[in-house]
Amino acid sequence: MTADATLEAFRLADSFLPVGTYTASYGLEQFVQEGRVSDATDLEALLSTYLERQVGPADLIALRAAHATTREGDVDAACRVDRRLTAVTLAAEFRKSAEQSGERLLSLQRDLREASFLNQYAERVADGDAPSNYAVVLGVVTGLADVDERSACLLCCHGFVTGLLGAAQRLLSLGHTDAQRILDDLRPKMIAAVDASAGRTPDDMMPFAPLIDVITANHERADRRLFMS
Amino acid sequence: MAADAPHPTFEGYAAEPVPQAAVGSPGKDGVLELTFAATSRGTRLVHDYATVPFHVSGTLAHDPHPNAETVFVQSPTGGVAQGDRLDVTVRVDSDAVAHVSTQSSTKVQTMQRNYAGARTALSVGSGGHLDYVPEPTILHEGARYCQELTLELAADATAVVADVVVPGRLARGERFDFERYLSRVHTKGPDGSLFEDATHLAPAESDPTAPGVFGEFAVYGTTFVVAPGRNAAALSDTLHEAASDADSDARAGATELPNDAGVAVRALGDCANAVQTVLHAAWDCARRELLDAPAPVGRKY
Repeated sequence: MTADATLEAFRLADSFLPVGTYTASYGLEQFVQEGRVSDATDLEALLSTYLERQVGPADLIALRAAHATTREGDVDAACRVDRRLTAVTLAAEFRKSAEQSGERLLSLQRDLREASFLNQYAERVADGDAPSNYAVVLGVVTGLADVDERSACLLCCHGFVTGLLGAAQRLLSLGHTDAQRILDDLRPKMIAAVDASAGRTPDDMMPFAPLIDVITANHERADRRLFMS
Repeated sequence: MAADAPHPTFEGYAAEPVPQAAVGSPGKDGVLELTFAATSRGTRLVHDYATVPFHVSGTLAHDPHPNAETVFVQSPTGGVAQGDRLDVTVRVDSDAVAHVSTQSSTKVQTMQRNYAGARTALSVGSGGHLDYVPEPTILHEGARYCQELTLELAADATAVVADVVVPGRLARGERFDFERYLSRVHTKGPDGSLFEDATHLAPAESDPTAPGVFGEFAVYGTTFVVAPGRNAAALSDTLHEAASDADSDARAGATELPNDAGVAVRALGDCANAVQTVLHAAWDCARRELLDAPAPVGRKY
């Protein structure tokens, strides 16, 4: 990767990126509320499940496909991948969080850069043709920035885990060292999720984590909550 | 991919010869076809065709909905065996109301070679309604089972599709001893794809009892209430409440499906009965909302 692409990857992976990560816990808030996650060990085990069952078999496949179609300049195909990711994401709160942060990333990138592909895709989003899922927007953005596909996938995993660790720090008494240790320990899981998504087509998207779905459905109706998901 | 493999993960199995009757031989390729149509005397079963392991004894008239017709599909065999390829087609024509279930659980037998596969195609015509609520699927030790279900809805059609999977003969201590289970659901409305769902379990490759997957539970079920454009937000809350209030230890939750397609209710429990109780409560509630009639009682004996 060029120095420019590497710096772009660092910027996109930073929790400083204003895409509203602080509003999403992807069900973690309810897991904590119910006492299912009460310490660093529980948290790491649950994050492994997210990587193996949710991020790997859905988001990363979508990201790879969006990255490839962006490199080919095929906006229609990017929109199809985007719609398909929505069709396989059955938890309503997950769709909402992914679409909102995707929309923010899209508008941020359009403020920073002039790229006709980005504008064409944004038009389709405005027309309701594409839901602007975060993983798809990230695939488009990294594809345009010459960040290679595998690095973009690793970036996505890193961003997802740091986002949930940030949420966990507000929900649990989790020290900064513990958070860094989990991030470090989860590296093999992130790499495994990225490797497992290689060579898969959008038809292979099969997220499967039923207890996360059930707990998230309960989060939708929780009386008091800090997070949108 | 081998010609007969439904998914890359089943490719190795598909290449294995079946030592007893071969794939596709009589008794191994069960076909079931059911067509329901609206008549002046209510819904009638106008076409039925069943080969082993399916059997249809006729229709039942106990549905609380005045126009509905019911078929309980029976099996004269001990269950689904290696090398079986089942093909089910259920068609509900315009304005007909049909309920299709099985008489007892589907037992997927122990396997050493090949796999068993089932394809189910459901379609509902304009203004029609289908309840496809079979009894649970029980996966015996070593079972390899792949099922693919498609649902196609015309404008103003609705459907309730349920599926419960039991990971072994729990009472004898068999639990997650099957080899692979893949169940996919594809749904289409008049404007194209609505949503897709997949259940993929291969206990030797990935621990099904991991937190967030099954956790402490064993039995898993989902009921899809597919009713495009019918105020899914309100329906989701109503079904969630019905499922949560049911007298059962199972954990359940309802959520709005993508593309305004309706509601999914998922449940996890310790035994099939707990999960079925929760899902039946949600089904009953959905039926009252969609058809203004309760669901038939779950008891079949």
